[in-house]
Amino acid sequence: MSDSLMDQTVRQAARVVLGKERQIRLALACLLARGHLLIEDLPGVGKTILAHVLAKSLGLDFHRIQCTADMLPADILGVSIYDRERSTFQFHPGPIFAQLVLVDEINRATPRTQSALLEAMEEHQVTCEGETHLLPRPFFVIATQNPSHQIGTFPLPESQLDRFLMRIEIGYPDPEAERALLGGADRRELVADLGPCMTPENLIELQRSLQNVHVSDALIAYVQALVEHTRRAPDFKTGLSPRAGLALLRAARAWALIDHRDLVLPEDIQAVLPAVAGHRLHPANSAPGAQTAADIATALIGAVPIP
Amino acid sequence: MQAVSAFKRWLFRLHGPEAAPIVLGQRRVYVLPTRAGLAYAVSLGVMLIGAINYNLSLGYALVFLLAGLGLVTIFHTFRNLARIEISPGRVEPVFAGETAHFDIQLRNPGKQARHALRLHFVDGETVSTDLPPDAVTLVPLPLPARERGWLRPGRLTLETRYPLCLIRAWSYVEPDMRGLVYPRPETAPPPLPLSASGDSGGSRSGAGNEDFSGLRAHRPADSPHHVAWKAVAREQPLLVKQFTGANTAQVWLDWDALPAALGVEAGLSRLTRWLLDAHAEGLAYGLKLPGKTLPPDHSPRQFEDCLEALALHGR
Amino acid sequence: MAAKHKKSPPAHPLTRSQQAWLIASAPLTVAPGIAYVPGWLAASVGIALLWRAVLWWRHAAAPPRWLLNALALAGCVGVFLSFRHFFGKDPGVALLILFLWLKLLEMRQARDGLVVVFLSYFLLFTHFMEAQGLGLAGFTVLALVVVTAALSSLAQTRQSVAARLRLSALMLAQAAPFMLILFLLFPRVQGPLWGMPRDAYSGMSGLSDVMEPGSISNLSLSGAVAFRVRFEGDIPPRHSLYWRGPVLRQFDGRAWRAGFQRPIRRPQDPQEMTLTDSVRYTVTLEPHNRHWLFALEMPLTAPADAIISNDYQVLSKQPIRSRIRYDMQSRLNALPQTGAAPAPRTDLALRPGNNPRTRALLENWRRELNTGADAGANADEAIVHRMLDYFRRESFFYTLTPPLLDGRHSVDQFLFETRRGFCEHYASAFVFAMRTAGIPARVVTGYQGGERNPVDGYLIVRQSDAHAWAEVWLAERGWVRVDPTAAVAPSRIEAGIASALAEGEPLPFMIGADLDWLRAMYFRWDAVTNGWNQWVLGYDTLRQRETLSRLGMRQPNWKSMTTAMAVLCGLLLLGLTFWALHKRARLTPVLRAWNRLSRRLKRAGLARQDWEGPADYAIRVTQARPELARPMADIASLYIGLRYGKLDGQKPLDELRRLIAGLKIARQR
Repeated sequence: MSDSLMDQTVRQAARVVLGKERQIRLALACLLARGHLLIEDLPGVGKTILAHVLAKSLGLDFHRIQCTADMLPADILGVSIYDRERSTFQFHPGPIFAQLVLVDEINRATPRTQSALLEAMEEHQVTCEGETHLLPRPFFVIATQNPSHQIGTFPLPESQLDRFLMRIEIGYPDPEAERALLGGADRRELVADLGPCMTPENLIELQRSLQNVHVSDALIAYVQALVEHTRRAPDFKTGLSPRAGLALLRAARAWALIDHRDLVLPEDIQAVLPAVAGHRLHPANSAPGAQTAADIATALIGAVPIP
Repeated sequence: MQAVSAFKRWLFRLHGPEAAPIVLGQRRVYVLPTRAGLAYAVSLGVMLIGAINYNLSLGYALVFLLAGLGLVTIFHTFRNLARIEISPGRVEPVFAGETAHFDIQLRNPGKQARHALRLHFVDGETVSTDLPPDAVTLVPLPLPARERGWLRPGRLTLETRYPLCLIRAWSYVEPDMRGLVYPRPETAPPPLPLSASGDSGGSRSGAGNEDFSGLRAHRPADSPHHVAWKAVAREQPLLVKQFTGANTAQVWLDWDALPAALGVEAGLSRLTRWLLDAHAEGLAYGLKLPGKTLPPDHSPRQFEDCLEALALHGR
Repeated sequence: MAAKHKKSPPAHPLTRSQQAWLIASAPLTVAPGIAYVPGWLAASVGIALLWRAVLWWRHAAAPPRWLLNALALAGCVGVFLSFRHFFGKDPGVALLILFLWLKLLEMRQARDGLVVVFLSYFLLFTHFMEAQGLGLAGFTVLALVVVTAALSSLAQTRQSVAARLRLSALMLAQAAPFMLILFLLFPRVQGPLWGMPRDAYSGMSGLSDVMEPGSISNLSLSGAVAFRVRFEGDIPPRHSLYWRGPVLRQFDGRAWRAGFQRPIRRPQDPQEMTLTDSVRYTVTLEPHNRHWLFALEMPLTAPADAIISNDYQVLSKQPIRSRIRYDMQSRLNALPQTGAAPAPRTDLALRPGNNPRTRALLENWRRELNTGADAGANADEAIVHRMLDYFRRESFFYTLTPPLLDGRHSVDQFLFETRRGFCEHYASAFVFAMRTAGIPARVVTGYQGGERNPVDGYLIVRQSDAHAWAEVWLAERGWVRVDPTAAVAPSRIEAGIASALAEGEPLPFMIGADLDWLRAMYFRWDAVTNGWNQWVLGYDTLRQRETLSRLGMRQPNWKSMTTAMAVLCGLLLLGLTFWALHKRARLTPVLRAWNRLSRRLKRAGLARQDWEGPADYAIRVTQARPELARPMADIASLYIGLRYGKLDGQKPLDELRRLIAGLKIARQR
């Protein structure tokens, strides 16, 4: 049953976001693994549409935050406003109180705002004036970021990048998809017409069923070897943290689940590796060659034999 | 001399940097007796003459047993080195005059631990290490960084005399590694050229939203999010929180602004020193070198990029 | 060329654990020598080692150099005073020990440690000049393990004590086959390369060329082995086992001596060589530092480097200073001495005036017989019989503790007063009596009897079997053996000394023991010792050739031996090479099967990349070889289940193996 739900979701999203089934699956895997997603790409490749489609298909309520330089943490998290008539503080929830939040151009927000947002993401709660407000469940943040270094932007610091389970790039559609896109209906209208493929309850159940995906000792050894390699090899400035190793395993479980398997294969690890490890690894300047996340991941996969 | 080095390159199969992992196959491990080994052989010879002369059967037996021991130790020594896999590890950038540490990854694929392995680069110190079985060991090898630019360690010697010091097994490898050496910072430089950087130098105020700096009266256009609601609760008028931006002071480190009398290296030294100072003070700094300009910024990335540009200038 | 980069000599200061190893190994290397080096040196070693241990314990520095130099000088002077020279074995060993403890006190660098270890090896070697028993050999192996472990500690490793000892034992065990091959095949050179220092032999016991009252009975208290004999065929009856040793002719009233005449080679009698009733046997003689070789009466052939003298002694040209082995042939029955030369006058010589009562008795007998019917040669024989009858008839006793005989008339005293004695007394009195009767006679010493070791079949002849008997010259018959002891105590000859002596007589430990199990153990031990002597210590040129030809080498000469040695050592080295290069695959059966798949597909150019996952691999193979789609899918799913899933057990594994083995990979067209 749940298998078909996931398949339906992927199929439906793929009808709107053309030629990007892999990215859709990764986004879904990220969601199943209860992580947050960072999409780093140029404007106009369909970041927002992807988030919309996912929200619609999964039946999640959806908020969008467009980040600007003058935005304050309160603008996202909410604010306690004094009610003069009742002489009490009344909490007005910010846009973060939604099941799926799209944070557009997160690098335009100031570091202060960014860190407030990321903290809330991590804790699944907002603390304002000493009061704690739980965020809804499921809770999923898709943040987008422009890769180009522009004046007046604040790229997410490395420590904060770690809060995102995955970072993906969408990239331009291939020629066939692009033709279909150009010839097809307006994407926004398509999104508006979409119905949910599953309920949030279904989604939570799927998230729980991740536990049942079997991870063998051999696979753990593989993950360990990969992580170990990043810590030693000259290609990276700093290696993957234990948290990154756990993230890798979680994402791979979700990937296996989407693939209807109850066990994780090395291939699952390899499939999610660029998305999970790409933003956590930084090529060392002494390392000749590979620079992009995909290059890094490919080199990493090629360097570590499956034990 | 050249012929000798060519012969050596041929004999020891040295053909420049090798791809990782470098496996010490049996053909790459060379074995010769040490001085102690030769002394051992000579003492055995003397004992053999004694055994013949005094017709000592057990003397023969002892000499032959010790001779066997000498032969067996060759294999132990060989085995202690063979089949180790060598891969390059990290090299943290250093400033010229410091000691760079080249991490070497040594993988022992076998079930036996390896003991008393000694490694050194051609002009580096010797480091001794043991390798536990079936594991990777990181060995940082020190190498003095004399000049800025890329430092290539060259040939690495691995040797061992384990277990009996009678035999030396060694191998040469050339891992593909390089370390970045930043220019040596000038020791007593002129002060940071803040004034020389023109318009934006030294300004430390301006609106922003990083640090809380005070309250001002509410104007109708202000966002309710910026209202100091706690003050309102204390029956005060509507006030708006005010913030200042972060330190926005900028400094340009300009090659062309340096006195021409300063040579290339001295100039780079001075820029390096200034760069360190600017970074320590948290200024935003930009770097202008002939053919390369890095716009002002104060991120850690900027720091590294600038140092790298200085290190590799003209290289 | 390589030496340019060698950072040698290693200038590593010795660590505490290295020092501990060296200090601990020293007592083991010195210990066997303590018994034979001068007392002051033994004491100094003990003190120096203790001192060194205390220094180590207290983390104290080495003693100052001037003190060590002074000690070295004093030690050298001491050695010189003890031996009066610096050459040869004993001063050499003393100096070695001296240097060892000086070096131990002085050591600072790893190089000093190497010197200590090499000195230790050398010292262990030198102990074999003194003794080569099984016990010392075993002890030396132990010491070698410790010394080698100490050497391994010098290689700057961090290993536990147990690990070091294990390694050392392992290496020595691996070296043992080399030892065996070299020991068997290294061409043995007989004899010294140059003259042995005088002091190489000392303290060897056995029969001497002087027999006085007490000399043989003293020997009888020793259970030491004189020689061992291996007979071809059965061991002859005990009463015929007379092992002939020195023949004594000169009597001074108390002691019998061999005299100073040079041995004369007995002319070979061609007739003797045709005798068929001879026994053949091999004697392994313990060293006694004399010339004679023991042989059964009467010897027919002499071994190489030995002669048979005209009084039937077998004499070696060199004194027997090491255990030797020789083949002998003897005839137990008297030799046909046709045309025997008349006995020399020395065999009648007597000092006048002594022992008047004996003279009177014998002269009396002679007179009686001369008047009788059988005069001449027969009279001589009759006198012999009378004398033996006299011993039998009168109350003579056979004992190890006879009363002392003093004075000029010791024979009178014995024959008429004490009448208690050991074989030397009877032989001495008998020969004296014969001579007074004008019958040429002489004393023969040697051994009588022996004990068969049931374990290895060797006959063991001990010092306690030492015996003295007589020979008389009878016309027509020549020299005839007469054993007066047999007349007094026949069981001495029939059953050995233990049964011939009265209860309560002191006996060598093993001889008198009634404890069967102890005896059995003794025999077993003696068999081991004998085997050790025969095969290890006695492994000389001859034995080497003999052994090698028995092992199938056609012509063992130094050429073929060296070749065989090289070949066998080469084989061993090859084996060690395999050992050193052998990759121990520690893979699970599942992984082994999976790797086999990759190996099989490698021929089709479809080897698995080591980073390639199973599903991807199956897909790649299937794309390249669509005909393999089905089996590959099955294999991959089984492997995935076994390795990454919860599938377990032998059955799926067998299935996986079967599928992989059954994969039909067609050659690429």
